[in-house]
Amino acid sequence: MNDLTAARRGTSRAITYLVLAVIAVAFVLPFAWLVLASVQPGASLSAKPEWTFSAANFRAVLNPDTIYRPMLNSVIISGGTALLTVLVAVLAAYPLSRYQSRFGRSFLYIILFATGLPITAVMVPVYAMYSRINLIDSIPGTIAFMSASSLPFAAWMMKNFMDGVPISLEEAAWTDGAGWFQSLHRIVLPLMIPGLTVVFIFTFVLQWGNFFVPFILLLSPEKQPASVTIYTFFSQYGQVAYGQLAAFSILYTAPVVVFYSALSRVLGGAFSLTGAVKG
Amino acid sequence: MRRTFIIAALTAITLTGTVACSSDDGGSSAKTITVAYQKFGAFIQLDAQMQKVKTEYEAAHPGYTVKLLPIEAAENDYYTKLSLMNRSANTAPDVMYEDTFLVNTDIQAGFLAPIDDYLAKWPDWSQFSPTAKTAAKALDGKTYGVPMGTDTRALWYNKELFAKAGLSVPWQPKTWDDILAAARTIKAKLPGVTPLNVYSGKGAGEGATMQGLEMLLYGTNNTLYDDAAKKWVTTSPGFVDSLSFIKTVFGEKLGPDQQDALNPNFGTSVSNELLPGGKLAINLDGSWLSGTWLATGAKPWPQWSTVLGQTPMPTQHGQAPGSTSMSGGWVLSVGSHAKDKQAAFDYVSLALNKENSQAYDIAASQIAERADVAADPAYLSSNPTLKFFTDLVQVTHFRPAYADYPHISDAIQVAMEAVMTGQMSPEQAAAAFSDQVKAAVGADKVTSGS
Amino acid sequence: MTPVTPLRPPAVRAVDAAPRRKPRYWLSRFAPMAPALLLLLIFFAGPMLWSLYTAFTNLALTGSSTVDFVGFDNFTRLAQDPSFLHSLVLTLVFVVGSAVIGQNTLGLLIALLLHGRSRIARSVVTSLVIAAWAVPETVAGFCWYAFLYRTGTLNSLLAHFGIAQNWLYTTPMLAVILANVWRGTAFSMLVYSAALSDVPPELTEAAAVDGASGWQRLRRITLPLIRRAIVSNLMLITLQTLAAFGLIYVMTGGGPGTASQTTPLYMYQQSFKFYQLGYGTAMALVLLVVGALFSAVYLRLIRLED
Repeated sequence: MNDLTAARRGTSRAITYLVLAVIAVAFVLPFAWLVLASVQPGASLSAKPEWTFSAANFRAVLNPDTIYRPMLNSVIISGGTALLTVLVAVLAAYPLSRYQSRFGRSFLYIILFATGLPITAVMVPVYAMYSRINLIDSIPGTIAFMSASSLPFAAWMMKNFMDGVPISLEEAAWTDGAGWFQSLHRIVLPLMIPGLTVVFIFTFVLQWGNFFVPFILLLSPEKQPASVTIYTFFSQYGQVAYGQLAAFSILYTAPVVVFYSALSRVLGGAFSLTGAVKG
Repeated sequence: MRRTFIIAALTAITLTGTVACSSDDGGSSAKTITVAYQKFGAFIQLDAQMQKVKTEYEAAHPGYTVKLLPIEAAENDYYTKLSLMNRSANTAPDVMYEDTFLVNTDIQAGFLAPIDDYLAKWPDWSQFSPTAKTAAKALDGKTYGVPMGTDTRALWYNKELFAKAGLSVPWQPKTWDDILAAARTIKAKLPGVTPLNVYSGKGAGEGATMQGLEMLLYGTNNTLYDDAAKKWVTTSPGFVDSLSFIKTVFGEKLGPDQQDALNPNFGTSVSNELLPGGKLAINLDGSWLSGTWLATGAKPWPQWSTVLGQTPMPTQHGQAPGSTSMSGGWVLSVGSHAKDKQAAFDYVSLALNKENSQAYDIAASQIAERADVAADPAYLSSNPTLKFFTDLVQVTHFRPAYADYPHISDAIQVAMEAVMTGQMSPEQAAAAFSDQVKAAVGADKVTSGS
Repeated sequence: MTPVTPLRPPAVRAVDAAPRRKPRYWLSRFAPMAPALLLLLIFFAGPMLWSLYTAFTNLALTGSSTVDFVGFDNFTRLAQDPSFLHSLVLTLVFVVGSAVIGQNTLGLLIALLLHGRSRIARSVVTSLVIAAWAVPETVAGFCWYAFLYRTGTLNSLLAHFGIAQNWLYTTPMLAVILANVWRGTAFSMLVYSAALSDVPPELTEAAAVDGASGWQRLRRITLPLIRRAIVSNLMLITLQTLAAFGLIYVMTGGGPGTASQTTPLYMYQQSFKFYQLGYGTAMALVLLVVGALFSAVYLRLIRLED
């Protein structure tokens, strides 16, 4: 490598880091208001720092009704959904990955297309159906629906992850007489832990912010998750309590971000979408 | 193969189990009354009230349980949720908090039960003013709800700014021109102060329709709906004149900057920043405004009652009755699927007896609909502006409470926006309004007024 | 050793030829899909079919106690509804702008730039990008609303250049597109990171030695190798973005006027503000068809390469 190439390498590296820095700043800026407004007592939409910091907004927000119970509900609902989704998706992905068939491929595409339907369109029939079978105001019922709507995407990702586990590993077990369940459970799953975690996290994060489904399907206020109770900070005639809204938003967003980074650290570099999205 | 069936069976059992588990907390036995209402943001007064009434009711009616269902949602979502609940018989509430202008819509859908028989046996019903009694009266002449409270609208003005601009206080405009004249003076004398705010455009939503256009239109000789012909009136002179007023306000820059006015959160700016900060001189707004400035409000402002004055909105040329106002209002209704309608009505009558009615009206800055409450010194002294706004009930109008109204309201906002941005003249905007309404409700339900 | 029910060993990956298998064979093979099918059938297919039916009626949420079958009336009305056609155009602009171009390109760019960089750079940038994605939609909407507001963060910086204004008022579509790019880039970035790590470095190094520029290496070697990931990514983010509602609703409410009223917002207004459920559902179906068309195009792109 001669000097010119080295110099070019050096400049290109500098440019790369500059561009990355610009991108990083661009991504951080919108958070500025969130952080500033949460620590200012008379917060409005302007993000002008007034140098009077206070924890008043956080104090106002930190009580069981406003935040503890809704967050707990969010954890139960999102966590339950992610768990059920992963379970069902793994089972569904097995035949789709291992047995080549036209039915399997078209099935996946069809259910993926179906996710293009806005959720607001199906909520009314879902409500009608749920009320007929008495599943309104039931957290398991809500979890079931949210799992069903997360399933297409989760099954797709799971199938692709599973494709990355060579079938040859299972063939030995099959000749020994193992059934699909054993082969899945003993061989495939342990090798798919990163994939399982990715699908779990994705489902969890995506459902954490879901407002419409729990709003429609749950009646009792004590079952509502934080994505619904965030609207507490508005009022009847359109007045918004911005400072408290910001404080609540930070507390509401924190668990998801923390959860995500903790899990990615646990999995080390294995946490990526490698194998998740192929053809 | 066995394992397959086991898994399938487990799934089925879980699902059935879920269904079974939730069946027993339905709780819709004949001795339970379900009450649905809105609980939203700072609007927690109704919730507090309902909890109190629940205890009173259960004490007075042993064996009965009240199940409260506060719905935490903004206005539109509340209606959506309530409609969904009403469409299924086993989630339909027995008592519900209804907006007066949706009453007819819900009656047509079959959600509400007429309560005339129960009202006939309720002595308190005579305390409600004649206007109040019609608040929940349907097209078929039957009454479907008991009013809880209402609101009125008028002109709020900053006495200090008026003094600074050399205008006499108390201000008593008699015509629209008087308002514009005052605004022009303020604009000339006090740069940096917005002279007049009239809510306008789609951003302000129903606020633009009610506090804006309808406050103007119902001060002319025309209205929005012809009761006799049962048609919507679209291109009346009154409508065009109202749009001209909007045009003048924004065209001469007597109003807020367009960008601000079209912002959906502008109302918060007005009450939290502009008025307390002395940046707005005149504001066409509602009776509830002072709620924000109380110690318990979103923006406490102790001097509000000395700095701000109120005056009724005059009619266009000062013609009788001289002033005008618009009222919304909410009622408590009995659901058509209620298993024990008498018990449900008992809840309603208890929730709206004098004591409870008064407590709620004071807490929620509502205008009383009962004569005894309106005359009560405790009520009158709870807020210095109450007597003023309560008196406006004499000249107030209600919106045409028909199922098509949301379409009309939306079209009004579109027309206002076209005029305030200068995109259309008032005549053109009125014509476009007419077209939009015809497309939405059918040309046979529209007439041009004269 | 626990007795297990022996299954026939599955065929090696190839479509099974004749003889026709007994139904019991298919049943046992696809049995693990049973829970998924059950869930989807009850909670997904059922409501979807009902929606399909509703689009051909005049169902109203309230205001009427009867439901009539109206055939294709809703659809003919849609075809003549200028607001709907306008919303469709806006939706296409939004999808192409924020997903096909925005998230896709930015995600690829970031993945390329980060490829092989230091650990710190990678973790800082990915954390920020992912944080933007993990933030719930409502909160993201508010952050951007405050960011672009007349006296918000962006304008306090731009005030020095004298161009501070309420961007939500003057350029609403651009504002929501940028917000959606901010929000969704993380997914594309992760997809492309993974895809790039599958590209053997020897290929690009060999090309570099041969004198190929960075841009040529990208176009001739890297991109073709990850084309399947590109198409899959495009398909997934297109479908997600078509139905995007919450972000735009919080930021502009569809305004000013109808300047940013995409089809999901118009649908929401018709269904829940005007209670015209039949009409709103018809709109949803049209959106679904649009999504299917996009997907068909993408899939054809993969097949062309095969």
